[in-house]
Amino acid sequence: MDKLKEDKIIADLLPQEFGKQGRIWVICLLFFAALGVFAYGRQLYYGLEVTAMRDYASWGIYISNFVFFVAISLVGSLITAVLRLTNVKWSTPLTRIAEIIAVSAITFASLIIIVDMGRPERFYNLFLHGRLQSPIIWDVIVITTYFFISLLLLYFPLLPDLKIMIGFKERNGKWLQKLYEFLGSFWKNTKAQFKITDKAINILAIAIIPVAFSIHTVTSWLFATTYRPGWDSTNFGAYFISGAFLVGAGGVVVAMYIFRTHYKLEKYITNDHFDRMGKVLVLLALLYLYFNFNEFLVPAFKMKKSEEEHLLGLFTGEFAPIFWFAIFTSMFIPIFILLFKKGRRPLPAFIAGILVVVGSWFKRFLIVTPTLLHPFLPMHDVPANYHHYIPTWEEWAIAGGSLAGALLVITFFARIFPIIPIHETIIETESLENEKHF
Amino acid sequence: MSQNTRRDFIASSLVAGVTLAGCATKNPFTAEEIPDVKPSGEMVKLLSVDGEIIEVDKAFLKPVPALPASMNTIEREGIAGKKFAMVIDLSRCKSVKKCQTACNHMHHIHPGQNWIKVYPMQDAEHTAPYWQPTTCMHCDEPPCVKVCPVDATFKRKDGIVLIDSDRCIGCRFCMAACPYSSRVFNWEEPKIEKEIADKPYSCETSVPQKVGTVGKCDFCPDMVRQGNLPHCVSACPNGVFFFGDILEDTVTNGSETFRFSELIKDKAGYRLMEDLGTKPSVYYLPPVNRNFPFENKVESVVEEKKA
Amino acid sequence: MPHFLMAQAVEKNTLVLGVKYYNDNNAAQHLVISAKSKIDGKFQKIGNIAVKVFITNDSNKNNFIGAGITSERGEFILFIPPSAKTEWVKSPTQNFIAISAANKLYEEARAETTITKAKIKIDTADGKIVNAKLFIKVDTSWQPMAGVEMVLAVKRLDGNLNISETATYTSDSAGAISGEFKRDSLPGDQKGNLILVANIIDNDVYGNVAAEIMVPWGKPLVYTTNYNHRSLFARRGHSPIWLELLAYGIILLVWAVIIYLGFQIRNIIKLGLD
Repeated sequence: MDKLKEDKIIADLLPQEFGKQGRIWVICLLFFAALGVFAYGRQLYYGLEVTAMRDYASWGIYISNFVFFVAISLVGSLITAVLRLTNVKWSTPLTRIAEIIAVSAITFASLIIIVDMGRPERFYNLFLHGRLQSPIIWDVIVITTYFFISLLLLYFPLLPDLKIMIGFKERNGKWLQKLYEFLGSFWKNTKAQFKITDKAINILAIAIIPVAFSIHTVTSWLFATTYRPGWDSTNFGAYFISGAFLVGAGGVVVAMYIFRTHYKLEKYITNDHFDRMGKVLVLLALLYLYFNFNEFLVPAFKMKKSEEEHLLGLFTGEFAPIFWFAIFTSMFIPIFILLFKKGRRPLPAFIAGILVVVGSWFKRFLIVTPTLLHPFLPMHDVPANYHHYIPTWEEWAIAGGSLAGALLVITFFARIFPIIPIHETIIETESLENEKHF
Repeated sequence: MSQNTRRDFIASSLVAGVTLAGCATKNPFTAEEIPDVKPSGEMVKLLSVDGEIIEVDKAFLKPVPALPASMNTIEREGIAGKKFAMVIDLSRCKSVKKCQTACNHMHHIHPGQNWIKVYPMQDAEHTAPYWQPTTCMHCDEPPCVKVCPVDATFKRKDGIVLIDSDRCIGCRFCMAACPYSSRVFNWEEPKIEKEIADKPYSCETSVPQKVGTVGKCDFCPDMVRQGNLPHCVSACPNGVFFFGDILEDTVTNGSETFRFSELIKDKAGYRLMEDLGTKPSVYYLPPVNRNFPFENKVESVVEEKKA
Repeated sequence: MPHFLMAQAVEKNTLVLGVKYYNDNNAAQHLVISAKSKIDGKFQKIGNIAVKVFITNDSNKNNFIGAGITSERGEFILFIPPSAKTEWVKSPTQNFIAISAANKLYEEARAETTITKAKIKIDTADGKIVNAKLFIKVDTSWQPMAGVEMVLAVKRLDGNLNISETATYTSDSAGAISGEFKRDSLPGDQKGNLILVANIIDNDVYGNVAAEIMVPWGKPLVYTTNYNHRSLFARRGHSPIWLELLAYGIILLVWAVIIYLGFQIRNIIKLGLD
């Protein structure tokens, strides 16, 4: 491939400074993050009293947000590992987007779980007094592990790109240059080095799959290891993982569209990518739908007394509006849009992706709260406000702040590092051209 | 059982423990010696009924004077040689709620919250309504303890499930795990007098409750150590609650004392949600032969007032 | 004085003190002092009340036998000290007086109880028969007393379990009662010993008098516990072996991979520096 073309790719994909839009976006995110920090300050000062959680609804949107973050972080393993191992080539430009979503989501999952704790300052007790029997300890272990594996999976493919970046000293400025040199000054593009990274990436792609499955399965066990109606299910691990892949893929489609339009990457994130990701989304939505059928229809067929109140609450009762909203926005409508070829063009696919992500967030809320409000013994001998759960502004601010924080991490990552792997794109283009020549 | 056979028993159970490592062995229990009450060496001079001056070792004085606050490690282990149980006679409960008041008062529970709840129950349209007080069930296979990540809630030798509020991180997993809804959370700084708040915390008294931690019925082990009944038992005017040591096969409500096994057999005692396999330590006697009406005052009004 | 303080001073609650006499095994004599007050129309136990206790009367300083402060349960125990001997031997009946001074919340309060000295002798006979005899002090000698209700029971943790279905026995002219022990295979201590107790409960004249005897009539208790067993509900360090093997196995395996990859990064750095 000629030098010109290569330079064009590099120029296209180099991280760019924030434009006007970018600045507004960052300022908005910073505002929401700051609001979240402020609300958390209040919570630290007054205790969990500032939330709407009470003895029955003892977990609220913090926990559903946690489940949401863990779910969306699974996408890293889907795009990078599953597609890589099955020799799917088209997903290469999407790998880094998926990985940074995974890293930032898993980071904020850990933070939000600390936010949910009544005594966050005693976090060290998990290490001093940790009981191996508790699924929370399993979650702490697997989430830490997944974080490091995701980080490595982000880092290894970044090395050749770092070398490219270091070449643009003037453009980078002092601080970024130092950062790039710290992270990758030793990378010399030698064959021996490539041999190691190729091997490492392969190992990681294999290792991340069971670990990713573990994080979400263990997260589902936080619920499924209890007796409560709606949680007492052997289906829960698979149900959570299928839902996680769906929301993760939805998140990637949204991110693809935003990066593509904002950074003018139409040549790299093509219509074809949206078409293929759209098909993936349909497949995952159908899979999730299948697990939903299992999760709701089977107990509804039996209508055990303890389940009845919970199920009717979802189907026709207090939670019915959210329930049907979540089912339709996270599954039926996206499937309907994406089944058509026209629906898999960037904009409709982007809309479908947003629907999936929003619907999935509310789906997580429905997994957590309604069950807690339908205990085995009737709710009794408590103040009237213990019977319902309507999150307070502090909770919304903190949950929103954590989402803003995760988006900030992704935004700044894209500012500092090429969001589409430059080196790999060059290699791919080269090999495509070679195919054409011969 | 002679000394030899006992030793054999321990040896064989050790073998079983190794071969079946981790699996449920046939007998999940190991025999153990109960430590005797040891003389303290501190003699107290007393006046006998005959007017003589006698010396008695402090350890053998009964009733026992209040024991000094024991150490956390001792509190976590519990009282060896005891296995506490409660019997709640539903045929006597009129929802007077003295149990609740006494419990709330003695444990300084946050206003509005209750460790003891008295449920109006009616299982189906044509079945009889009755009152069902619930305490913590002190399960032998407690689901709350299973899930606690930091040993903040634990099962003791004497069967009591306690919470260490100095250890609790406030994750509330135990609340989700408990099918009996017996746990409450201190959402805000407990509203208690400074005098109480300044007391050194003990997991046996569960006082003072601490913000950001879980609380629940503790079977009042501090009372038991002093030879007293739990507060709810002594507060109930109708003698609904019976408390005792199952190894002594005796339960009492203060004025009446029954042989536990006979009481359960004669009155067909049962436990709540047996199908969950939690093996509660609280037994219920069915609400039969009640000679008072079931009067449920308008619940919503009462509860709105509280809120 | 400001008006509101006056009003407060007027609304002091009445405190009701109580004194109960106990004689265990004719040795450990003690008093239980209790304090309660009507608050919102209901009697409630009052803690933190300082009470002084006197024998015979409270006019003589020498009759002071002790003081205490009521617990949260509104009571405390006072063992009758040797200093009470001079008054104690004077008469077959005895007065005990409890006095609490007025404080911010309560008026001064006073309670008195009079008891006639009594003691019980307990014994057993063949066929698991329990015999007890009640004696009371008349002038200077102990005389049997008839017509007093007594209980024969097995001593248990918080309450005593009657030895049979018979709730109470009344002493005959020889002061004697007799009952058959019908609690077959009732668990005793690890040697099968039970403590039997004959007692008078809350008697107007005699107070609470009890006598105990140990008999080997119980079923030896085999105390078993699964406290030290490995289980899902056991404490830290006592998780089931299968769980430990599984968990640590997985952790080791995965972290070995991560550490291996860490070393690979080091290798890449080395290659780059060469």
